[in-house]
Amino acid sequence: MSEKSSSLLAQLLAATAALAGPVAAQDTGAGASVSYRHGDYDEDALAEAPLDGSDRRYRVRTEQFRLDTPLGARDRLGVELTHEAMSGSSPWFQFPDANGDPAQVMSGATIRETRREVRAAWSRERESDTLGASVSYSAEDDYHATALGLDWGRPLGESLDLGLGLSFSHDRIDPTDAAQFGRIDGAIKNTTSAYAGLTQVLDRSTQVQYGLQLTHSDGYLSDPYKRFYGGDRFLADARPGTRTQAALLLRWRRAWVEADGALHLDYRLAGDSWGVRSHTVEASWYQQLADDWRLVPGVRVYAQGAADFYAPFSAPGAAGRHHSSDYRLAANGSVSFSLDVRRAFGRWELVVGVERLRARDPIGFAGDEDPGRVSYTQWMAGFDYRFE
Amino acid sequence: MRLERIVLCVLAVLLAGCASTPVQPWERGRLARWDMRFDPDPLKAGLKEHTRFSKEGSSGRVGAAGGGCGCN
Repeated sequence: MSEKSSSLLAQLLAATAALAGPVAAQDTGAGASVSYRHGDYDEDALAEAPLDGSDRRYRVRTEQFRLDTPLGARDRLGVELTHEAMSGSSPWFQFPDANGDPAQVMSGATIRETRREVRAAWSRERESDTLGASVSYSAEDDYHATALGLDWGRPLGESLDLGLGLSFSHDRIDPTDAAQFGRIDGAIKNTTSAYAGLTQVLDRSTQVQYGLQLTHSDGYLSDPYKRFYGGDRFLADARPGTRTQAALLLRWRRAWVEADGALHLDYRLAGDSWGVRSHTVEASWYQQLADDWRLVPGVRVYAQGAADFYAPFSAPGAAGRHHSSDYRLAANGSVSFSLDVRRAFGRWELVVGVERLRARDPIGFAGDEDPGRVSYTQWMAGFDYRFE
Repeated sequence: MRLERIVLCVLAVLLAGCASTPVQPWERGRLARWDMRFDPDPLKAGLKEHTRFSKEGSSGRVGAAGGGCGCN
């Protein structure tokens, strides 16, 4: 065997060994990398002026940093740091206008708050499976969340991978100005989530992922910063003390070599014990261009039905045990368009992206339009750097 | 519920057609491309998921609980 053919055989064997593990080839075996993103999230003013309070809605500036590195031959470590600076006003409660239609009352004082989060994830590739663990801590002035996660995956055949995950979060809320506004002094929420997924290679250019996620929360699940108008008095937002959610996920990826691009299609069907159901459809096209440019246009459609206990307000004495006028629990929908532009310079890749989301009536769900529903624009910019 | 039934029927038909053909390890070059990952940009995915968790009544991160209040 010549030296040249021996070298080619060695390369083929090495490539085979690298790819023979998980059927869905992902970012295993890659070198270390760091990434940074700056995000700017800006909500539109309400479609109609609020009955009271500020019409300057939420704005969030986000800084994200991520380090992903191999640790020896089989281990990887990922660390993410997030800092958010939030400001603006938010929907407080709804009140009937002169015609008896819901009108929004916003919080008057401008909210200013920050959130810091650190997350670390470790994974190890073993002989026939992959094991992972993660831990995260998120802190705001009035909210602290600690989460732990475990995940495990293994091939089930030549074209099929199984993935299982389990996570738990312990959250504590201590609302600000509790005495002034009659809010609770402090409360706890616990959330457990389980995930099972299958990744299947359909052919040389196509792979699909099916997933089922179950989430159970208990504790204080209401929003202490929202009120409910009960016809003759104001009530605190009151939601059930437990919530069980189920979500079915389908993610499909196909590469078109001739076009040097790939199509991503995602669908999510979700429902929960509060009566909230939703459909989410998302499509993105990843186009590679000359001179290391990449374009990623995308579209997303979201449609949601209302919670059983949602109402903008109630007649005197008619409010049930559970009641909320939170716009996020109303029937609502949205359509968003996004575009990311990426350009590689050697080991560096610069990224700029924008998403524009417009609230609209939800397809397939009945319900009155909530005056607090939100439209927004979100920008992000940053870079990725690979060490090897 | 009618919409859910239609969607589930369409998904069942699509999945029934998802029969895979054997793909050898050395034929997986396309599947290993960056643009074929399920989450090519993890930071962007995290940012979007946190935004949707905070602003939509039925969205959340896959396989991970926690991550902030989502109030307001």
